[in-house]
Amino acid sequence: MINAILRLSVERRFLILSLILVLVGVGVWSFQRLPIDAVPDITNVQVQINTEAPGYSPLEAEQRITFPVETALYGLPNLSYTRSLSRYGLSQVTVVFEEGTDIYFARNLINERLGAIKSALPSGLEPEMGPIATGLGEIFMYTVEAVPGATRADGGPLNATALREIQDWIIKPQLAQVPGVIEINTVGGYDKQYHVTPYPKKLLQHGVTLDQLADALRANNANRGAGYIERNGQQLLVRSPGQLATIGDIEQVVIANRDSVPVKVADVADVAIGKELRTGAATRDGEETVLGTAMMLIGENSRAVARAVAEKLEAIQPSLPDGVKVEAVYDRTTLVDKAIATVQKNLLEGALLVIVVLFLLLGNLRAALITAAVIPLSMLATITGMVQAGVSANLMSLGALDFGLIVDGAVIIVENCTRRLSQAQHQGQLALKERLQLVFEATNEVIRPSLFGVAIITVVYLPIFSLTGVEGRMFHPMAATVVMALLSAMVLSLTVVPAAVAVFLRGKVNEKESPVISGAKSLYRPALLVAMKFRWLVLGGATALVAVCLWLATTLGSEFIPQLDEGDIALHALRIPGTGLEQAIEMQAQLEETLKDFPEVEKVFAKIGTPEVATDPMPPSVADNFVILKPRDQWPDPDKTKDELVTEMEKAVTQLPGNKYEFTQPIEMRFNELISGVRADLGIKVFGDDLDQLLASANDVLEVVESMEGAADARVEQVSGLPMLSVRPKRMALSRYGLTVAGLQGLVAAGVGGENAGLIYEGDRRFQLVVRLPEDIRRDVDSLANLPVPLPDGGYVPLSEVAELELAPAPNQISRENGKRRVVVTANVRNRDLGGFVEEAQSRIADNVDLPAGYWLDYGGTFEQLQSASQRLAIVVPVTLAIILALLVMAFGSLKDALIIFTGVPLALTGGVLSLWLRDMPLSISASVGFIALSGVAVLNGLVMIAFIRDLWHEQGDLRKAIVEGALIRLRPVLMTALVASLGFVPMALNTGTGAEVQRPLATVVIGGIISSTLLTLFVLPVLYYLLHGKDEKVQ
Amino acid sequence: MQRIKHFSLILVATCLAIGPLQAAEEKHDDSQANARGPNGGLLLQQGDATVELLIFEKGVPPQYRAWVTKDGRVVTDDIDLDVKLTRLGGQVDTFDFAYQGDYWLGDGVVTEPHSFDVEVTLTMDGKRYRWQWESHEGRTRIAPDIAQQAGIATAEAGPGTIERSLTTYGSLTMAPQQIARVRARFPGVATQVNVSLGDRVNRGDVLARVESNESLQTYALRAPIDGIVIDRRISNGEMTGEQPLFAIADLTTLWAELKVFPGQRSKVAVGQKVRLRAEGIDQKSTIRHLLPAPGNAPYTLARVEVDNADGTLTPGLLVAGDIVVETVDAPLVVDNRALQSFRDWTVVFIRVDDTYEIRPLELGRSDGTLTEVLGGLRAGDRYVVENSYLIKADIEKSGASHDH
Repeated sequence: MINAILRLSVERRFLILSLILVLVGVGVWSFQRLPIDAVPDITNVQVQINTEAPGYSPLEAEQRITFPVETALYGLPNLSYTRSLSRYGLSQVTVVFEEGTDIYFARNLINERLGAIKSALPSGLEPEMGPIATGLGEIFMYTVEAVPGATRADGGPLNATALREIQDWIIKPQLAQVPGVIEINTVGGYDKQYHVTPYPKKLLQHGVTLDQLADALRANNANRGAGYIERNGQQLLVRSPGQLATIGDIEQVVIANRDSVPVKVADVADVAIGKELRTGAATRDGEETVLGTAMMLIGENSRAVARAVAEKLEAIQPSLPDGVKVEAVYDRTTLVDKAIATVQKNLLEGALLVIVVLFLLLGNLRAALITAAVIPLSMLATITGMVQAGVSANLMSLGALDFGLIVDGAVIIVENCTRRLSQAQHQGQLALKERLQLVFEATNEVIRPSLFGVAIITVVYLPIFSLTGVEGRMFHPMAATVVMALLSAMVLSLTVVPAAVAVFLRGKVNEKESPVISGAKSLYRPALLVAMKFRWLVLGGATALVAVCLWLATTLGSEFIPQLDEGDIALHALRIPGTGLEQAIEMQAQLEETLKDFPEVEKVFAKIGTPEVATDPMPPSVADNFVILKPRDQWPDPDKTKDELVTEMEKAVTQLPGNKYEFTQPIEMRFNELISGVRADLGIKVFGDDLDQLLASANDVLEVVESMEGAADARVEQVSGLPMLSVRPKRMALSRYGLTVAGLQGLVAAGVGGENAGLIYEGDRRFQLVVRLPEDIRRDVDSLANLPVPLPDGGYVPLSEVAELELAPAPNQISRENGKRRVVVTANVRNRDLGGFVEEAQSRIADNVDLPAGYWLDYGGTFEQLQSASQRLAIVVPVTLAIILALLVMAFGSLKDALIIFTGVPLALTGGVLSLWLRDMPLSISASVGFIALSGVAVLNGLVMIAFIRDLWHEQGDLRKAIVEGALIRLRPVLMTALVASLGFVPMALNTGTGAEVQRPLATVVIGGIISSTLLTLFVLPVLYYLLHGKDEKVQ
Repeated sequence: MQRIKHFSLILVATCLAIGPLQAAEEKHDDSQANARGPNGGLLLQQGDATVELLIFEKGVPPQYRAWVTKDGRVVTDDIDLDVKLTRLGGQVDTFDFAYQGDYWLGDGVVTEPHSFDVEVTLTMDGKRYRWQWESHEGRTRIAPDIAQQAGIATAEAGPGTIERSLTTYGSLTMAPQQIARVRARFPGVATQVNVSLGDRVNRGDVLARVESNESLQTYALRAPIDGIVIDRRISNGEMTGEQPLFAIADLTTLWAELKVFPGQRSKVAVGQKVRLRAEGIDQKSTIRHLLPAPGNAPYTLARVEVDNADGTLTPGLLVAGDIVVETVDAPLVVDNRALQSFRDWTVVFIRVDDTYEIRPLELGRSDGTLTEVLGGLRAGDRYVVENSYLIKADIEKSGASHDH
């Protein structure tokens, strides 16, 4: 078949070449549609179901909302697991599906189930699914602020409420229409509300109750259409407007008549624009602000969408009231552009280096250009494949592309053709037919080993596909891209390359033995002879090197996944549970001022608590701070590393009282929030019903774990600590006064939390009308005890008479997993092997912790992923190696030769380890991918070398001569493939731009490895072959 | 032989590929937890002497217990063991130990917080042993400039007056003695009516003249009290009947009948001061009477006299009355803003230089602004009043532990 394809390519060469145009066309078209981002999306397939439940405490939210929602989800197809969070005013259920589940399908299923349970939920509560976005979704953030001294058109202050109104009703509706934006989320400011605040004393005096007040407002605030009448042939619409529009209107609403005197709202209450009971706030540079976040639809091009949002925001600015300005504070475009610039630079410089090397070594410009042409063509084919496979272009997916590796196959073919053509030309100019035949033969001669090589490199990427979870999502795109690039290069070298050689390499083929090669050859020959003489020494040396490197590898530090430097800093400021929002804002001001004092910092902004759409439900005690840094050249010391800066910041902010910090980066933070698994090495989850029992059992477990050797940072998840004021009805007393529990609770809820009494419309804008007690009474626990509770027969009784007010700590949140309450005990393991630790923990907990019936444990944590990844790789890697070996055996028909080639692998790895060690880099998965690629290159090198030697030996019968001659002839291709492969990675290894740190380990490993592998291929392999086949020769 | 060699090489390759995945383990120096003895106490060792020191607090107030061994043998007499605790602010507690059968018992209670610098000295067989360490809890340091920036302000603990009050509501009424209804003594015809509704009259003023039916004599009806005519049921020429003809009310004093509910009753007594508040009034008065409410209502009425010399108040107006139920001159009080909850305690944070530490308090009575301190704080201690929550947040953020 290969023959047929080759023959077709050479004979129908012009047709094949014209097909290039098609490829270019499709490739360019695909490029327009390629999603581009900085990092791969590692979010799992998940749907958040948020139910806002104003006033609900964690316990009520769990019982009334979370439980029914969770129960409704049981048995969904492809469901992986559910977890939930019940907090003040919010129930959030996160549904995680198996990988590969279509998100729209999943959402449909959930929608259906949610529809069925509507009636089981308390009325007025609507579960809503979170936006269709991933961890990469928060692409753009902006603040809405007032210019100092600016006022509203009506003279009022431009305060947080006014700014929020502008955000909600002017900015958000316009931004939400930008294509690719799925949600505009707002945090900060106050939702404007009309507040009617009655004074208990006045209510008593006029004999009206809170209920009556609210009812009166509801009954006096509507427009009604009343059909139409016809008069003299004309149709008249009838309408009765009765909506309340202004504060004055509200004040004039009559509640009741007392002795034929109307009691108006104004008689018993104040009416004003008030502040909602908010769950979140935003600050910037120490001041309160309104922060909008544009969230991108899943799978969109973040750069394009962020840019469109920025443009739209510019367009909105003139339509805002005077004195209000919107300002972008976070724009993903910046990061993506920087990352793309890095990748572009790497790829471009790599490609140029490759072309230069090709020209130098081939000594023929046309041949070099043909080979180099494979680079853009395979790139276009790869992009097409990426679009089809839904792989986005980012640092990881493009990070392992080495044009050197890609052109390897083409190099071998072109090199052989050039050599053969120039040899043939020694006998004079060739006829067309002869030339074509020669090209065919020359290609055919090397096509098999080169296809083989590509196949092998492709196979070695297989283990990466076996990774699952976060690692899988991180590295699958990389492996997929490389494999696609290699396959397209393989197809190209089968078709376009021979066709191009046939078309363009005519006339006098100039194949000068370039000075580089002849120089290398003159050095190589004696060196090889010496090596063959001291063959045991060479072998011993190589083995020793492998052993040393093996030891060296264990001393390298390790990191699991490389961190992309996003250029900005995010930090969680954590305060103790129960911290109020206003208190948090005050603490935030001090923190932000401290951060702002750093000359490197451009701006600081933060989200506190939960935003409008609870994409990230934090309690008010937690703030996400974003620290946007100035461009490096504006730093006082541009050479300062980010780590140093972070350390300095940490030092400065830890002095501030009351805060604890976790430093991270914006995208990383978002991923962590969404994936949100147990991040410690070992997580022991205690499942059960009673919170106190759960906590007690968790503490028992903690005691066991703490006593174990190697345990570090062991702790129980903080579940309690929210102080709660319970108003417990005294049933006897209530009945004595003729009151009911519901009536009492209604009063407390309306008085403290507020009761919704309708909407006030201002054009499109609508604002809630709320009845709530005045702030000074609500805030004071003592005066709450004296709150008069109206009696059915008139009169009143103080609240403390019919209810007990009790201040006690309560759970601040209730976490559930798979429909059961859970408390997690986490621990890290130091200086001890993780597996052994987990086993010991399991047996010791089983012996020492007595769990009541209905309670059970589950073990999870990073150890699980590590174990499963290690176990899977422990199977897949040997299988892969076996496949390669089998391929080699197939090629050579000899296990011995296959094994000889195989020795190239550990030898190649030595260089990788050494280079890591030299550059002081840890072993990471990135580096491992480098090792994997390296194994492929090493095998390819060995393959080319051994195949030739063997052929020569079989032709000539003299093993020693065959080895030396074969090695010399193959010196050029081996050097070329090695040089192009390693030089192609040089820019990547040296780059310091944004995102380079992700690619650097890989490139470093490959460069180091290829150098060692080439040296060892050139010396150790011939020696080994000589040793192992020495006996056979004697037999011959 | 060669095969084995090759095989081992393959294994090496495999290991290398897997290697990086073997956990992201960092090197970490675990600070060795303080050694614990068989009784769960802190183990102190020096030469041949070992002291195990424990704060025992199960079922008893916290006390020191110690076990002493020499060369592994239990020592039960002839030693001199001393524990000296230096607390923040310089207070020093010392404990002497006596053997109690099973253990050496320290004399005295180890008061909370268990936060101090500990110095243990042991004299045994003429040799002196000495241990010293810091055992801090509920303590933090904040630099003065940062504390100032954060708005942390302190005050000196000292004496103060606590006024506890109770808010009650009730309406204004007239007392029976302040309303006089005037009837005609002998039925007859009113010949002259001098006053009309709303007129102010003095005692003895003639309200009307009536011609008796029997004697046909005209006699005067006079006002029995000073006051305002609030009712008039007769006009010139009309026959008087049995019914009252005039009502005269004295509105210069009114009475607030405040409802005192059973839960509040025990605190309320005659003679207590009351602050009355309503639209137009804010005046002080005292409780004159306590009466059961009419008609079996479950509350008591506290009657308070209200001055209405200017006549602005009317009966039926609802007033709120803050009854001062208790006034205490306490030797030591703290500002309510300073109080925070900490574990099971209510605490304040004292400041010594730039160090802050909890002081669990035993609290007495409290009003809206001040609370009496019965124990746990000394007069003259500087404690945090404003932004005390920050100190609590700072101490608890690192997961304060109750360890000795």
